[in-house]
Amino acid sequence: MTRVLLVDDHSIFRSGLRADLREAVEVVGEAADVDAAVRAIAELRPEVVLLDVHLPGGAGGGGAEVVRRSADLLGEVRFLALSVSDSAEDVVGVIRAGARGYITKASSGQQVADAIRTVAAGDAVFSPRLAGFVLDAFGAAGGGAVAAADDELDRLSAREQEVMRLIARGYAYKEVATRLYISIKTVETRVSSVLRKLQLSSRHELTAWALERRLL
Amino acid sequence: MTAVAARPPLRRSPDVVLSGVAAALARHLDRPIGVVRLILAALALLGGAGILLYAWLWALVPRERPDAPVSRRVPVAALLLGAAALAALLLLGRELRYGLPFGGVESALLASAAIAWTLGVDARDPRHAGRAPLVRLLASGFLVVLGGALAALGFLTTLPGAAVLGLVDVLVGLAGFVVPVILDRAARRAEERAAAARREQRSEIAAHLHDSVLQTLAIIQNRAGAGSEVARIARAQERELRDWLFAGTDPFAGDLATELRTIARELELEHAVRIEVVAVGDVDEVESHAVAAAVREALVNAARHAGGEVTVYAEATPAAIEVFVRDRGPGFDPGAVPDGRLGIRESIVGRMARAGGTATVTSGEDGTEVHVRLPRRADGGAA
Repeated sequence: MTRVLLVDDHSIFRSGLRADLREAVEVVGEAADVDAAVRAIAELRPEVVLLDVHLPGGAGGGGAEVVRRSADLLGEVRFLALSVSDSAEDVVGVIRAGARGYITKASSGQQVADAIRTVAAGDAVFSPRLAGFVLDAFGAAGGGAVAAADDELDRLSAREQEVMRLIARGYAYKEVATRLYISIKTVETRVSSVLRKLQLSSRHELTAWALERRLL
Repeated sequence: MTAVAARPPLRRSPDVVLSGVAAALARHLDRPIGVVRLILAALALLGGAGILLYAWLWALVPRERPDAPVSRRVPVAALLLGAAALAALLLLGRELRYGLPFGGVESALLASAAIAWTLGVDARDPRHAGRAPLVRLLASGFLVVLGGALAALGFLTTLPGAAVLGLVDVLVGLAGFVVPVILDRAARRAEERAAAARREQRSEIAAHLHDSVLQTLAIIQNRAGAGSEVARIARAQERELRDWLFAGTDPFAGDLATELRTIARELELEHAVRIEVVAVGDVDEVESHAVAAAVREALVNAARHAGGEVTVYAEATPAAIEVFVRDRGPGFDPGAVPDGRLGIRESIVGRMARAGGTATVTSGEDGTEVHVRLPRRADGGAA
């Protein structure tokens, strides 16, 4: 079973989540603030950290600070961001810091467990809202800007746009695969490559947007 | 016996010639204003009694609307400045009084009064506020020149009184230039501080609510399950609170997006459904109307027949506005439409056709998706 660390400053939420996940994953520990989370990650080396975006403590950087301070473990520990609000600015900061995905706190236990498995397998988890933000930030609605090669960082390829659109429309990975006549693995690869672009892109709008909200 | 009409109360109106005293008296006594003015002028000749009476009434007669700014027809400050200039002409007579050039004191006092009037009275007078700074600058300049001349005269002719008066005039004149700027800046800084404090307070409240109430509402929804009554109420409360907290900060907020979110919130209150709205690109209000109406029908349909989680995705490209409404209900065969769905389907497809767009409904085992599309004209408006 996947070894998971729960990081959230609300004990009620943690215990509820722990109860929900009992069957699906092994919860190895809990932390309630930035410093405790960084310590617990270094000690316990969980496979996945379920990380609240809004956390007290540390330098006030919340979940993104936890990811940044654990940067040297990013190869071995994966972060899944949890946020109560699905506003993009809450989420993009922690994704840009290195988290592999994001879900809202309103997600059911089953959804959380699925997302943990996806992240543990090295893939990315996108909510419809995050997919919508990505399409906006990479100018997909503007029309022309399609990447010619998949490795271009500042634009999405036509296939990536396709996948993002379907996720934004509420399709699960499996449904996206069926719809586009591709394998689930291919869907996961495309989502991961979009995640990489979201993390690494210096695209002007994205950077300006993030700077304005002091996410960088 | 004839009934005596009640006299109007003695009150000064906000729209006055100079002070409103004569007009107030005339109205109160029911006499022509000319007569009242004549009597006041005549009394003024009796050792200044009229002036005293006038000043006394000015000070004590209450205003009709104490909170309304007083608008004076007479440009008092300009007249004071003119009088100061006239008084300064007397200096040319070279006569002395108490060791001072005749007219120097009067001119300085009148110009100072003009400055004071622009700052204290005209600044709040809608009729003169625009011109007040110009009059003040002229009066200040006049005082500096007058003071300089008097001081020079004083030193040249060894009249110490004139030299002192001249220096004082220069100082007052310079103050007329500088003081309002300082006051203005201080007022603006105080206002900025207050605004910053309000913003900070609001963001503190937002942060607190975010960390406490929103979390709790999320937990409630999570515990209660997406389709339940409790979750529905918690979800609606969460949306309302979030809209209030983050009003205007949502980077996606175009008009269509706002409209769709409003529709979603209403339906969440009525039905056991959770609607997520994702919007990409910007949409004008006008062109979104037919689309929003069609999407509303699709959402009502989804809320009634499917429930649970519904996703709305709206995308505005230069070519078209597209909205997808997807539910997870049992689905139906759009070809063999049951009675209950006929009206709804008609209202979506028919409505979009009338607006020059298209609507397609696809339904299967894992849900129903309504796709609404409205092409845009080349100039960016709706077709």
